[in-house]
Amino acid sequence: MDFSFTSDQTLLKNSARSFLDEHCKPATARLLWDDPRGESPALWKEMAQLGWLGLSLPEAHGGSGLGMVETALLLEELGRAAYPGPLWPTMLVADAIASHGTDEQKKRWLPAVAGGDARAAVTLLDSDLDWNPDAVSTRADKTPTGWQLSGLKRYVAWGHVADVLLVPARAPEGVSLFLVDPSAAGIGWTPMMNMDPGTRLADLKLDRVPVRGEDRLGAPGAGAPALLSLLRRGAAGAAAEMLGAARRCLDMAVGYAKVREAFGQPIGSFQAIRHKCSDMLLETENSHAAVYYAAWALDAGAEDAATAASIAKSYVGDAARKVCGEAIQVHGGIGFTWEYDLHMYFKRAKALEAQYGDAEYHRELILRHVAA
Amino acid sequence: MDLNYSAEDRAFGDKTRRWLEANTPKDDLKTLAERKSWHRKLYEAGYVGMLWPKEYGGWGATAMQQAIVQDEMARIGAPPAINGLGIGFIGPTIIVHGTEWQKQRYLKKMLTAEEIWCQLYSEPNAGSDLAGLKTRAEDAGDHFVVNGQKIWTSSGPIADWGILLARTDLKVAKHKGISCFLLNMRQAGVEVRPLKQISGHSLFSEVFMTNARAEKQDLIGSLSEGWAIAQTTLGYERGGNSLGRVTRYAIAFHQLVRATRQLKRNGQPLLDDPVVRAKMGKLYAELEVQRYAGLRVLSTLNKGERPGPESSITKLSYTEFEKRYYETALEILGPWGQMMTAREEFEEIDTSSGEAGTWATAFLWSRAGTIYSGSSEIQKNIIGERVLGLPKEVRADRLKA
Repeated sequence: MDFSFTSDQTLLKNSARSFLDEHCKPATARLLWDDPRGESPALWKEMAQLGWLGLSLPEAHGGSGLGMVETALLLEELGRAAYPGPLWPTMLVADAIASHGTDEQKKRWLPAVAGGDARAAVTLLDSDLDWNPDAVSTRADKTPTGWQLSGLKRYVAWGHVADVLLVPARAPEGVSLFLVDPSAAGIGWTPMMNMDPGTRLADLKLDRVPVRGEDRLGAPGAGAPALLSLLRRGAAGAAAEMLGAARRCLDMAVGYAKVREAFGQPIGSFQAIRHKCSDMLLETENSHAAVYYAAWALDAGAEDAATAASIAKSYVGDAARKVCGEAIQVHGGIGFTWEYDLHMYFKRAKALEAQYGDAEYHRELILRHVAA
Repeated sequence: MDLNYSAEDRAFGDKTRRWLEANTPKDDLKTLAERKSWHRKLYEAGYVGMLWPKEYGGWGATAMQQAIVQDEMARIGAPPAINGLGIGFIGPTIIVHGTEWQKQRYLKKMLTAEEIWCQLYSEPNAGSDLAGLKTRAEDAGDHFVVNGQKIWTSSGPIADWGILLARTDLKVAKHKGISCFLLNMRQAGVEVRPLKQISGHSLFSEVFMTNARAEKQDLIGSLSEGWAIAQTTLGYERGGNSLGRVTRYAIAFHQLVRATRQLKRNGQPLLDDPVVRAKMGKLYAELEVQRYAGLRVLSTLNKGERPGPESSITKLSYTEFEKRYYETALEILGPWGQMMTAREEFEEIDTSSGEAGTWATAFLWSRAGTIYSGSSEIQKNIIGERVLGLPKEVRADRLKA
């Protein structure tokens, strides 16, 4: 039993932090906020060279074969940097292809993702905004050459830069997964402006979009369990990213409380501020325990892995919102300005709360597991 | 990072479970003599004093093995060992700061619960501000004469010995004039009066010392070193037994699930009510996070690292959680959750298991955790200053000193 990181894991974390401190400064992220694309292709290439994009992919397909713990370490650092871009959805889709794909699908996509030549997005919500994979209403009808997809996918993250979309749709056999070309005929995007400009969302309308037979992922009707497992991983990863945002806000608040003076003393000497910072540390450390327990449980195939992922997502969502919000409170007026960087992390944490299943969805899953 | 138990730990857990299944008393233990006898049995099986060095009668076990025992005992509902304050931190204090004579005289009888120990720290006017204590110990040549009053003393009426903080020097700053003694509770100058707490039971007491006698040989460490000694021991009190505690929470959670299946609202089991489900899902998530955090602390302890100021985070976390936990449970259970039952009086409480009893007892007891062994506010001061490195507050008593 050891809850601490190995030296390789610590090395990965430290090198990610120093790279991001240099190449993904707050100013870099702010420039991307104003960029129509919203992410940096140059940064993407560098992340590929560092081996991040293929971190969890099989070595046979250009990856490093590492697990969810390493992935969470990386995502925590990306959250700490408020990195804007499609890294996590790309990794999730690539993992799904690695788990369920044919040899051709793996050859087509995995080296491309690991090498930084392909981005991916996944559509998790249909028009009724239900996270339950069984609730998919987008239709997949058979055609002589394959399939035809029709429906509305809501709040798709980073679809506008994706080279491939993972789209669940209801086939006659049940929910099935499809790898869809974003430039196919019948696809219509409606971009939206999120509170967090580093999270790019758009609605996706599919109007009889043709999909070749060989682009179905996994067996027909086997989509729901695959989607559930993607959602689980997605939730644990999002929790890690929120943890990073919280950690950054806590550091900023404590740093500020040490130097900002009021009534002739540093404000951190007042219990009203000190106790707030202690509560923030408590929430951050508990979040750390929740994230890495879940990551380990997923890697180890532990019995409670699904519950642990739901626990991490729902707990850390609340905790990160609280920690980032209280950091603004500790700063006072300056923390409420656009110029000061705090809101970047506050908004990222908030945006992730509504991704990969919100807290209510995950709490229901938790209770189903425990009170079964 | 590997959260699997090792093969040795699993084997140890199996052995412990089998022993507990065979030996745990079937009926409630009603008297002190019965509890002492169960304690003795646990000790002889190697389940008490596990972390103590073998040379002092302990078992030299690992923190992991101790956690496994606490976990298994909670799981099977075994009555806890007694003398928890003594074995948990008074004994370790004597091991670190005591003389060889003190170790020989006190430790073994503490482990076997032949002698019960209590803690004489808090006073009516010195709780969070413990260093403001007023009890005096005056040098009378061959012994010290102790006068003053202590309060919130768990196990007071059954205690044979107490660890005492008393002022020995009035001329220096308040933290610097305190000494630490071992005090014989069975003497004419010591009077113990039980206090009734909000649960209706009397598990702690006031202790009055009137010209009580503390022997020279029972001074711990040097004169006026008491404050530093108290600091090291409070760390022990705040750290351990997280797994056993969480296992008790989990058992209570499954009772809550059963109760919400039976109770109805609008003709449906409460458990099917979406509002109740959302509350319970959140509660279970928080409960598990306490367990994960406990495993993290345990993995540090298991490497032989001493509990530092970080133990304040653990204590703050579980005690605050425990209040939310039982508040939510009683909210869900309504009047059904407020019932108390009469129970056997037993004058000792293990703070890690709390008072035995109903949901209502647990709800009332949950108010104790954020006060005892350093209130939540004190823990937050410690975390702020010693973990986050925030500046100390300007305090009137520090200015004077």
